[in-house]
Amino acid sequence: MFFQPDKENISIDNLKAVQEECLAKTIELAGRSPYYRKLFNKYGLKPKIKALKDIAKFPFTTKEDLRQSYPTGMVAVPFEEIVRMHASSGTTGKSTLVFHTKKDIENWAILVARGLYAVGVRKTDIFQNMMNYGLFTGGLGLHYGAEKLGALVIPAGSGNTKKQIELWLDLKTTVIHITPSYLFYLGHVIEEEEKIPLSKFSLKIAIVGAEPHSEETRRKLENIFGIKVFNCYGLSEMNGPGVAFECEYQNGLHLWEDHYYAEIINPDTGEVLPEGKEGELVLTTLAREGMPVIRYRTRDITKFIKGRCPCGRTHRRIERIKGRTDDMFIVKGVNIFPSQIEGVLMQIPEVDKNYRIVIDRYEGLDKLIVEVEVKKGFFDGELSHLKAIQDKLTNKLKENILVTPVVNLVEPGSLPSSTGKAQRVIDKRRL
Amino acid sequence: MGKQLSIFVENKPGKINKITGILEKEKINLKAMTIADSGTFGIVKIITDNNRKAFDVLKKSNFLVSFQDVVVVEIQDKVGSFHRVAKILEEKGINIEDAYGFIIEEGGKAALILKVPETERVEKILKKRGYKLIENF
Repeated sequence: MFFQPDKENISIDNLKAVQEECLAKTIELAGRSPYYRKLFNKYGLKPKIKALKDIAKFPFTTKEDLRQSYPTGMVAVPFEEIVRMHASSGTTGKSTLVFHTKKDIENWAILVARGLYAVGVRKTDIFQNMMNYGLFTGGLGLHYGAEKLGALVIPAGSGNTKKQIELWLDLKTTVIHITPSYLFYLGHVIEEEEKIPLSKFSLKIAIVGAEPHSEETRRKLENIFGIKVFNCYGLSEMNGPGVAFECEYQNGLHLWEDHYYAEIINPDTGEVLPEGKEGELVLTTLAREGMPVIRYRTRDITKFIKGRCPCGRTHRRIERIKGRTDDMFIVKGVNIFPSQIEGVLMQIPEVDKNYRIVIDRYEGLDKLIVEVEVKKGFFDGELSHLKAIQDKLTNKLKENILVTPVVNLVEPGSLPSSTGKAQRVIDKRRL
Repeated sequence: MGKQLSIFVENKPGKINKITGILEKEKINLKAMTIADSGTFGIVKIITDNNRKAFDVLKKSNFLVSFQDVVVVEIQDKVGSFHRVAKILEEKGINIEDAYGFIIEEGGKAALILKVPETERVEKILKKRGYKLIENF
């Protein structure tokens, strides 16, 4: 059962041919963007390729490159063709922006619809989308995909637990899109606080994403709710959710290879690894018009699963993401780098450069705590002045990382010193 | 002018103990203490018989500590004493940001510590009304 049988069931040879054709187009198109035009010139590259293997000649694109091209340096079409923008946090300073044409939005919806269909979502389903809408891609990405498929979409967004449960019950929601941590919390509220038996819910399927989680977490959630839980992978630079999606077999995520050219590399050397070896996932958009991205280093560690999936889809499967090659962490589905936080602290003269990030979970929701030391010269004994520093820091951080942190001011010398290998990020979440 | 010491502390068990321990060790007599907190941190305000020394030893122990101007006024340890002072300040439209105190002798003298925006002005006003100001300890 496929949403696009001819595309999902495509023979390996035909898939290769599609990739080759699309890659050639993508390279040609990318050459029209200011960023890639300059890059190609610098390396003396012609925006042309003959075979898939020619991609190896092109350098990788990193998050930093996206940041450098802020805001529109990678846009490859006339700007009036752009209909949507999404953003993700950058390692420092500016966030990275991704632009989509009408066709791109349509394609993204199709890829999500393929995934939803693969896990059993149908036109008859009631789909409650409990992910953040806005700059973050989790909300709108699945929203459009579920609509494409024809399901009824409830754009509930995240949080507002009581309302979520009410809608869930009254509209007989059958499918939800949610972070695993929030799903745990909902289960707790429904059973312990609302005292509603879970059997009263019509839920069948939960799509979970935006947070790294383990196979054990999936099984636990399935047992609590008596449902099937499926994993979905994506990143805003590659549209967002729907780059890869599990199918009914729950054994790896089918990466839509007619839309993304995937390589696994050794993150230290950049060397492309043979199939089946674990490494960093590198993706090239194959059909995106607005902002083609060539060999994007996702920093996510995974590997291709060898062999065909019993579901029949020819698109290869990647394993559940195992980790990161950098120090990025994810809070409430938002990517954050310690360097972003460091950057903000540098701008606030009242605090010292030592800091510690503690990530915890409270009632199923992530909490980001930033501990900073008050600088000696700035203490005048006024509590209101300390509070003002705290507020200033909270707001500045929020502007930068898109998540509201809890800022704790601590005594000088109580945090590990900034020299040496200090443990700056403490993740207390258990998933 | 009166002085108090403000010490930045995290809101954690054992913090006050550390401060009082240092004062005891240095034979500094703690006259009064009050705490203002804001969630995970707060400020401990103290008056001692040797504020200068207290400042130095706390600083040496890595505390964030700062002197603040306060009005330390002598009042009687009886009903209505504070009220009379408060009334004078109200008449002059002066806001009291913080106030605490301690008894010097039971049924006799007490010290009232006031944190106000214009310390000198308040001192003048109170002096004019016949109050005795305690310069420091």
